[in-house]
Amino acid sequence: MSLTDKEIRKHERSARLMMWMAARSSRNKTLIDRVCRKIIVRATTVDPEKDFMRDELIDNDEGFDPDELDRYQRGETA
Amino acid sequence: MPAAAPFNPEDIANAKYTERPVKEGVTTKKLICAACDIACTVVGEVQKGRVTKVRSSDNPIFRDNICMKGIIAPKGLAHPNRILHPMKRVGERGSGEWEQVTWEEAMSDIGSRLKKVIADHGPEAWAVSTSQWNTSTDHGLGRRIMNHVGSPNWISGVALCAGNTAAVNRFTYGWFPFGDFGNTKCIVLMGHNPRRHSWTPLYNSIRGAQAKGAKLIVMDPRRSSSAERADIWLPLKVGSDAAMMFGWLKVIIDEELYDKDFVKTWTIGFEDLKKRVDEFPLERVAKLTGCDPEMIAEAARVYATSGPAVIPWTPITDMQRNSTSGIRLQTILRAICGNLDVPGGELLQGFNPDIINESEIEMHDVLSDEQKMKQLGSKDHPAFTYRAQLPFREPTKRVYGQEYANLVMGCHMATPSETFKAMAGEGEYPVKAFFFLGNNPLLSYANMPLIQKAMMNQDLIVAHEQFMTPSAQLADYVLPADSWLERPWLHDMFGWMSTVRFSEKAMDPPGECRSTFEFWKQIAGALDMPEVVPWDTLEDFYDYRVARTGMTWEEIVETEVHFKTPAFRQYEKTGFATPSGKVELKSSILDDLGFDPLPYFREDPPQDADYPLKMFTGVREDGFFQTGHRHIPEMRARHPEPEIYLNAKTAAARGVKEGEWVTVENQLGSIKAKLAIKDAMPDDLVRVPHGWWKPEMQQGVGHLSGALDYGDSQLCRDDPDFLDREQGIPHIKGIPCRVVPLVAAAPTKVEASRPVMEPAE
Repeated sequence: MSLTDKEIRKHERSARLMMWMAARSSRNKTLIDRVCRKIIVRATTVDPEKDFMRDELIDNDEGFDPDELDRYQRGETA
Repeated sequence: MPAAAPFNPEDIANAKYTERPVKEGVTTKKLICAACDIACTVVGEVQKGRVTKVRSSDNPIFRDNICMKGIIAPKGLAHPNRILHPMKRVGERGSGEWEQVTWEEAMSDIGSRLKKVIADHGPEAWAVSTSQWNTSTDHGLGRRIMNHVGSPNWISGVALCAGNTAAVNRFTYGWFPFGDFGNTKCIVLMGHNPRRHSWTPLYNSIRGAQAKGAKLIVMDPRRSSSAERADIWLPLKVGSDAAMMFGWLKVIIDEELYDKDFVKTWTIGFEDLKKRVDEFPLERVAKLTGCDPEMIAEAARVYATSGPAVIPWTPITDMQRNSTSGIRLQTILRAICGNLDVPGGELLQGFNPDIINESEIEMHDVLSDEQKMKQLGSKDHPAFTYRAQLPFREPTKRVYGQEYANLVMGCHMATPSETFKAMAGEGEYPVKAFFFLGNNPLLSYANMPLIQKAMMNQDLIVAHEQFMTPSAQLADYVLPADSWLERPWLHDMFGWMSTVRFSEKAMDPPGECRSTFEFWKQIAGALDMPEVVPWDTLEDFYDYRVARTGMTWEEIVETEVHFKTPAFRQYEKTGFATPSGKVELKSSILDDLGFDPLPYFREDPPQDADYPLKMFTGVREDGFFQTGHRHIPEMRARHPEPEIYLNAKTAAARGVKEGEWVTVENQLGSIKAKLAIKDAMPDDLVRVPHGWWKPEMQQGVGHLSGALDYGDSQLCRDDPDFLDREQGIPHIKGIPCRVVPLVAAAPTKVEASRPVMEPAE
């Protein structure tokens, strides 16, 4: 299943572009960064019904109240 | 294993991503979760100086890489039982009598006592057990100090989980590859079962690849959730993975499905390999694995012909009698099918040249060869010790630019069982001081009775921990450790991948909790070598590590991730990082060490009629990571008791029912557990839960918070029939055992087993 050199170089160019976009997207400071992030979001968004990462536990997580955590840490609540 | 930073944004496909508005009174911090070893990039929301919520990243390339262990962290780490101050043992070892001391008092005494052990017995008498997750993100500083002191005896759970795989992969092609899931056409899971809440990014990557048409082949005795989604499921006998791969190779070689050009140009030993493979006709493989020969052949053809394919790391072959051969067979399949360092295949990324990696920090060059050769396990089981890994110095320098590549921390380790023997006074020389950081050795390695004997025989034990684990209960000092919410982190992917990621500090540590950086810096000072850790703060240290990027730590942490420019087939320029520069199907290093240079298959020893079943352990339950998280009410509500799994037929034959308490017994020991009936389990196989203890139970010798009741390491043998020869790691995928009803002391109330996340985790 050997890939030709031409195919490898094509993949390499594509990977470099994607990496550049991912790096810009991660920084998310300048206009170009934000454009990259929007492109990545658009390219990777799939229909909710196909979303294998949907999870009730995660989706419904509301976190904790800081005072509640203080009381918990002092052993005042379970 | 670390989360893959995607090579292609399409790796991560999910619909619910949104830019989150900043709430009033809430600040956000970019974090890397260390609730397990996956290291997901997440966000921490901070209110009133506390992390109150952990959620998935705002960065679309990392989104949804989060699980229940991450979201519960703000509460789990605020638990009232968290150790907040240094504790010194004042009664007998394991008596549970402690007094609070200052860090300075503790370090002064630790330094004096460690120096005495070194003076009396040599530097090799000091052993350390840790990893690079939980509390233990020590950036290689522990090894750095040990190397300066002169001790080679560092051990870790990675000896039987990924670290050993990394070391064995080097024998074939000099590095440990990571799959390009974004472009692959076929994925092979060997007993591994990544799920939504365990190995989450890997689950995400696999499901994403399947959504794009990649085929999934699963080898697993259980009908796991991955097996249910697979195109081909091979329900092989437990521990027969290496035999199965021989069967695949037989098909691939006989039918000439391999990459002939690559084999001809880039491999050595193919003819010898072919002869060895010929010893495994499919009829024999079918008998060894219990699988239909036609299915075996079909799976081999799919793997070899689908296009670029990946065999992701699996813990299953890390923990077998045939571990070295099993891992080598994976490397050989990857190589001869042309999957090395190609898009969609197995990427050999090397180090990120812009960051000072942990292998450099560790400074293995300062440890003398004489001390390296004293590393415990070197003599009989050298595969991941210095003895077997030193020949890679020159090839690694040639290809990756530096002599030492401690990939996944697994390439310069002592062998755990040999280390515990030495600690117990049964080894080559005495080990009398033992440190462990974010690590629970009694429950993390095979043969708990030996480990306990070893710990009771120490002059000095120091634990750096968040909670009073069973192992910490036997320490002289328990020093309070910080958490991933409370310090920054530079994550270099354990050297496995070239992408580097950054985590901010989100809140102050509670009490007197301190980081591993501070721990090791103070140890260096206590040993009169402060110059070994010259940086004043962790941030100063990170400034040093990222200086080549032209940025400071404060600047780079804003970027969240730092990539290396991707490139494929780099071996065409440099060769492979092996002594020959080729892919060594027949390993020259194993040959030089006196081992079989080709993979082989050791069958099980004759069955003992008293122990007619086979058990496996080592599998994570979703709410826990290894031996941790049992103190968190929400996690325990999901898994209130340790459960073994049997199918209905096997349970009925033993006269035991769902929800009843049983004991699992073998020649080494026994444990108690509740029985859960799972139709996903095959006949006569027992799934034993890993790492169980109960923080609410009585502490100290004779109790150890339930570890003596439930700890699976009491069943994990390390006698020669149950050790891999080359590595000396235990066979925990198919240990003979029996299951009997627990009559005495059984709880009076028998409850139905609670559901768990998966049919058979």
